Amino acid sequence: MTPVGTPEGTHRPHPVKTALVTAGSCLVVVVALAALTGQAARGYSTVSQQMDSHAVHDAQVDDAFYRCIDVQAHSLVATDQSVRLSTENLADVVTMIKGFGSWVNVADPSSQAQVVLTLRNDASGPDACLGTRVVATSVGPDGRTSVRLGTGDHVDGQGPPPAPPL
Amino acid sequence: MNTVLATMVALTVLSAAGCMPVVAAIGLRWFAVPLVPLAGAVLAGLAASASLSFGGGLLNWFVGLAMVAAGAVFALWVMHPERGPWPSSSSSDVPGRGRHRLTGAVGFVVVLVSCAWSLRGLRSPTVGFDARALWVMRPGWFLQSHAQLLIDMKARDLQLTQSAYPPLVSAVAAIAWKITGIHTARLGVVLVAVLNACALAAAALALVEVGRGVSARLVRRSCGQVGPSKPPWAPMVAGVVAAVLLVFVAAGATEPFFTNGYADPIWSLAAVGAVAYGLQVQADRSTRSAAALLILVAGLSKNEGFVTATALVVLIAARSIGVSGLRAGWRRWVSPVILAACELAVLAWWPVLMKAIGARGATSSFSTSGDLASRATATMHGMSPYLHVLVVAAPVAMVGGLLLSSVRRRGGIGNDLWAWLALVAGLTAVGGALVTGSGAIEPWIRSTVHRITEYPLLEGWWILAVWGVVASAGLGAGLGAGSVPPDDDAITRGARAVAPDGLIEVGTADAVAAGAVR
Repeated sequence: MTPVGTPEGTHRPHPVKTALVTAGSCLVVVVALAALTGQAARGYSTVSQQMDSHAVHDAQVDDAFYRCIDVQAHSLVATDQSVRLSTENLADVVTMIKGFGSWVNVADPSSQAQVVLTLRNDASGPDACLGTRVVATSVGPDGRTSVRLGTGDHVDGQGPPPAPPL
Repeated sequence: MNTVLATMVALTVLSAAGCMPVVAAIGLRWFAVPLVPLAGAVLAGLAASASLSFGGGLLNWFVGLAMVAAGAVFALWVMHPERGPWPSSSSSDVPGRGRHRLTGAVGFVVVLVSCAWSLRGLRSPTVGFDARALWVMRPGWFLQSHAQLLIDMKARDLQLTQSAYPPLVSAVAAIAWKITGIHTARLGVVLVAVLNACALAAAALALVEVGRGVSARLVRRSCGQVGPSKPPWAPMVAGVVAAVLLVFVAAGATEPFFTNGYADPIWSLAAVGAVAYGLQVQADRSTRSAAALLILVAGLSKNEGFVTATALVVLIAARSIGVSGLRAGWRRWVSPVILAACELAVLAWWPVLMKAIGARGATSSFSTSGDLASRATATMHGMSPYLHVLVVAAPVAMVGGLLLSSVRRRGGIGNDLWAWLALVAGLTAVGGALVTGSGAIEPWIRSTVHRITEYPLLEGWWILAVWGVVASAGLGAGLGAGSVPPDDDAITRGARAVAPDGLIEVGTADAVAAGAVR
């Protein structure tokens, strides 16, 4: 580089180098613009697919299912009761966490839980959430075990709900 | 209160908390706008760490931290009025400043509109699997008592090992739940999507800054004539166009996770922004602060983000110091090192806390060495279909490096190798977790590869877009009528030089850039 303001500063650019820079610039601009535009169009289409009626329906069913089991859990457990989520079925544990894991008071140690929550997946009838019901098992002061079924909401049909993308 | 109104309320609260620190650190710049709610999100993440560490309600910690931050800024402005954001009278008649301001405003508006339009996927009420199982479930834990929160994080029966992931996304949703009284996954998803859009806007606006910066620094010399001039339009227009295209590219690449509550987009987009401001855009106090903030967003959002953010802290500190800094003595490198140490300390708070309390998922198991080769092969094969941009970006970078590096250098844009190093760091973080992890590799890759490759994918697109902007300046070097250097105060103070290809280097465009919004 040459300082501006000196006699050297006024020399003309080297024509070969200028041509190379111009050619390289043209190439890079065209390739970058074409690639970005193509991918942007693809991205636009991908976002639009999220509003597809099928995707919206699946999302609504998924939402209704988890809202349903949340309501059922609320019908079985008071917010100050300690709870154990039955670990017999890992998929059910995940479903329960997704449905009402945010507000139940998990007991530690689990043996001290006042209520054990589990899911019954072969349920039918007006109180089932896509064929699932929340079940609460507790032992009363008299030592007797009581089993109660969740109520308050239902979703017609059989589960599981449509799987959202992982 | 419906979800839209609740989101607006939550966003307002986050912005109120983040406003003062952002204005103090970054100033009144266009790219500071989307960083304001993100700064509030960082405070929410820190509040969650503090709440779990010391007890006390999440909202109390959030309000307390916001007030401390605002008080510190206020005190700084009182004691050092020259550090305030109010306009200085010295930069009012800079030639070419109108173009810069216009480009900044237009770029900001079109990027904002593009980002808002990219959120239309929210019309589908999707809540992602992991979002419902973790990201917008854990907010409820943050609102429970301290004792219960500890149980939630530690109880082995819950089996959810991902609950040890960094807190930012869940903490933001918890703040929204608490202040609006609406405890729904949908509110968390919508709020996280808006923050994703903010991170995307910040990264895209860096391209606008690249175009404006290049334009301010590079002016074509015509026929040996040097005199007052205005900066050329080409790089500025290219910057705006590239920014808008990047928004659509990124929104498409990150869907459906962009609008379904996952944490992958926010850390990926924030990391891209951090690379942009920390390693590519011309370094000044504003861009360094933006990079620091985006690093915190990335590192407080997800484990992969934490590892990548840690690498970015090191890279940015290395760039700030440089070889000349090492030779120049401790005064030159002590500030970048202190800043890096502070960032690392903040980033490390949550993972150290998880270890300290014995949280579920805080310990990792590693595969045996015999599996590493096959896992590495499977990882490479699994990732490669999602990294197709590298097939274009790498040759473009090579051509650019050979023919346009002088244009890039004199445009004030950081060396391309920094961005590639950052890309490799992110790729290594994700790939390393897959290779050294103990989970079955094939299903793990199948179920996660789309979203865990978002960062390297977006970084590749960013690299390509920057070369496009730089090339638009190189195009002006050989074509069309020339213009001459802008004659603003900073430029006349700085050194000027003419390259053999006719491009003139000017000392600095800080004055133009700093006055862009004013």
